[in-house]
Amino acid sequence: MRPLDWVVLVASLVSIIAYGLYRSRGSNTVDRYLLAGKSMPWYAMALSIMATQASAVTFISTTGQSYIDGMRFVQFYFGLPLAMVAICATAVPIFHRTKVYTAYEYLEQRFDAKTRALASVIFLCQRGLSAGITIYAPAIVLSAIMGWPERVTTLLMGITVVTYTVLGGIKAVTWSDVQQMGIIFLGLLVALIMVFVLLPPAVSPRDAVFLAGAAGRLNAVTTHFDWNDRYNIWSGLLGGTFLFLSYFGCDQSQVQRYLTGRSVAESRLSLLFNAVAKIPMQFFVLFIGAMVFVFYLFVQPPMIFERTELARIQPLPEYAALKGDFDRAITQRREAALALAAAHRSGDTGAERRDEADYRAAQHEIDRARARASRLIEQAGGPVDFNDTNYIFLSFVTRYLPMGVVGLVIAVIFAATMSASSGEINSLATVTIVDIYRRHVRRGRSDHHYLTASRWATLFWGAYAVAFAGWGNRLGPLIVAVNVVGSLFYGSLLGCFVLAFGFPRVRGTAAFAGMLAGEVAIFWAFLFSRIGWLWYNAIGCVVVVAVALAITYASPGVTTRPVEQPAQE
Amino acid sequence: MTGPGEVPDDPPPFLRTWRRVYIAVVIYLAAIITGSYLFTRAYR
Repeated sequence: MRPLDWVVLVASLVSIIAYGLYRSRGSNTVDRYLLAGKSMPWYAMALSIMATQASAVTFISTTGQSYIDGMRFVQFYFGLPLAMVAICATAVPIFHRTKVYTAYEYLEQRFDAKTRALASVIFLCQRGLSAGITIYAPAIVLSAIMGWPERVTTLLMGITVVTYTVLGGIKAVTWSDVQQMGIIFLGLLVALIMVFVLLPPAVSPRDAVFLAGAAGRLNAVTTHFDWNDRYNIWSGLLGGTFLFLSYFGCDQSQVQRYLTGRSVAESRLSLLFNAVAKIPMQFFVLFIGAMVFVFYLFVQPPMIFERTELARIQPLPEYAALKGDFDRAITQRREAALALAAAHRSGDTGAERRDEADYRAAQHEIDRARARASRLIEQAGGPVDFNDTNYIFLSFVTRYLPMGVVGLVIAVIFAATMSASSGEINSLATVTIVDIYRRHVRRGRSDHHYLTASRWATLFWGAYAVAFAGWGNRLGPLIVAVNVVGSLFYGSLLGCFVLAFGFPRVRGTAAFAGMLAGEVAIFWAFLFSRIGWLWYNAIGCVVVVAVALAITYASPGVTTRPVEQPAQE
Repeated sequence: MTGPGEVPDDPPPFLRTWRRVYIAVVIYLAAIITGSYLFTRAYR
C-alpha cells in the first residue's frame, strides 16, 4: 500500500462511519436504537440488506471460487427471488402487524414462551458463530497486505466495529450500508475495468471471455443432479430457497432490517429489490473472478497465493521439482491460450479444437501441481485440506492494481465487513435484550434501562465475535464457512415459522419438540452423511414440520382447534 | 417499551397489486436462469 492508497482507505472509512453516526442522531430510546423508530425508507433498507450479504466474503472468497471452480456458485442464489416473494406474502405483514421487535417475539404470541426462548437461543448460537467469521475476513486482508498476525488485525477490526455499533444502533448501521453500497459498486466496476486494461494488447475482452469459457470458468448453470454437489441448478432452486427463506424470514440480522420500515409496502419493496438485484450482482462478482483467471493466463501466478504457506514448503527438497512442473505447465497454457484465441478469431475450427485440447491439458497439469503443493503444505505441518481461495483476489489487487485503486478496493472490503458484522452484533444484542433479558431476567424496567442494557449486550457480542474469529481459518473458504454455520441451525428455525404461518392447529409443545428433532436431524446429516450443506435447511424444516404435525394429531389430549393468528387483519 | 404505531399496508407503486409484482419477479427469475443457461452454452 502506497501513501495515496492509505489516504483513500482512511478517507473512505472515516466518511462512512461519520455519515452513519451523523444519521443516527437521536437514537436515545430502545425503539429508535433497535428499530430506528420505524422510520426507514425502502431504498435504505434494500441497500442495507444487500450490504449485509455482500460482506468482504463476497469479494475475497467468491472471486477466488470463480477463479478455481468457475461461475457455478451463482446458482446458489437462484432460490433467493422465490424466498423473497414467499416472505413478502407471509412474514412481512405478520411481523409488522404484531408490532414485534424480533422475529422470535412473534413465536411467543403464536406458540408459547419456551418456543420463543429455544428459537432465540438457536439464533444466538448460529449468528454468534457467523459474526466471528465475518470479522475474520478483513483480518486476512490486513495480514496479506501488511503481514500483521491475523489475531491482532481481528482485534483491531473488532474494536472499530463494536465502537461504531454501540454508539449508533441500527440507524448508523443502515445508513452507512447505503453509502457503502455506492463504494462497493464503484469498486467492482473499477476492478473489472482494470482486469481488461491489464490484459496483453493482443487479447481483446471478447478473447478473454472466450478463454474463460474454454477453461470451464463460465459454467453459470449446471443441470446434473447430485446430492453431494453444492452448486447446481437443483440445489440452488430447492436448497437455496430453503436457505434464503431461513435467512431472510427467520434470521434476526435480516428481519431487523425490514422491521425498521415505515410500512408493509416499504419493507416488501426492500426485499423485492434484493430479489431482482442480487443474482446480477453475484454474477458480476463471479465474472470478475473469471477474468482474474484470464489475467493470470498471461502473467505468471504464484503456485500458492497464500505467501506464508508457500514459504513453508519452499525449503523442502520436493519443492524445486514441483515448481518446475508448475512453471512448465504455465508456459504451455499461455502459449496454448494465445494460439486458441488466434484460432478462434480466424475461424479455423481444426486448429481451435487442437489448441483447446492443449489448453485444457496444461490447465489440468497446473491443477495437479497446485494439489500436490497443498498436500505438501499439509505434510509440512500446515492446515489440513489447505486451499488458497481466499487469497487469490487480494493477491491480484495488491500486486497489479494502480495506486489509489488498491486503497479503494481495500476500503470496500473493510467497510463491507464492518457493516455486515455490525448488523450481526446489533441483532444479537437485540435478541439478547428483547427475547431473553427483558422477557426472563429483568421485566418491567424503564426504557433507559433497556437502552443501556442493549449497549452492553452489543459490547458483549462484539467481544465474543472477536474471540471466535480466531477459529475462522480452520473452516475452509469463508463463503462456505459462513453458510455451513448458518445451515446447521436455520432449518429448525424455518420449520418453526412454517408451522406458525401455515399450520394453525399446531401448538407450542409440538413446535418445540419439532425444533429439537429438526436440530438432531441436521447434526446427524452433518456428522454422519455426505449430503451437501445446502440441503440441511430443507431437511431440518421438513423434520420440524413432520414431527410437530405427528405430535399434534397423535396426542389424544391435544385439541385440533386452529389457533388464531395474533393481530392479523 | 412501547410498540411502534399502526403500519399501513399500501399497494405497490407499480403493477397495482402485490400478486402481480410477485408474478413479475418469478418471470424475471425464469428469464435470468434461461439467460445464464444460454450464456453457459455459448461459452462452453
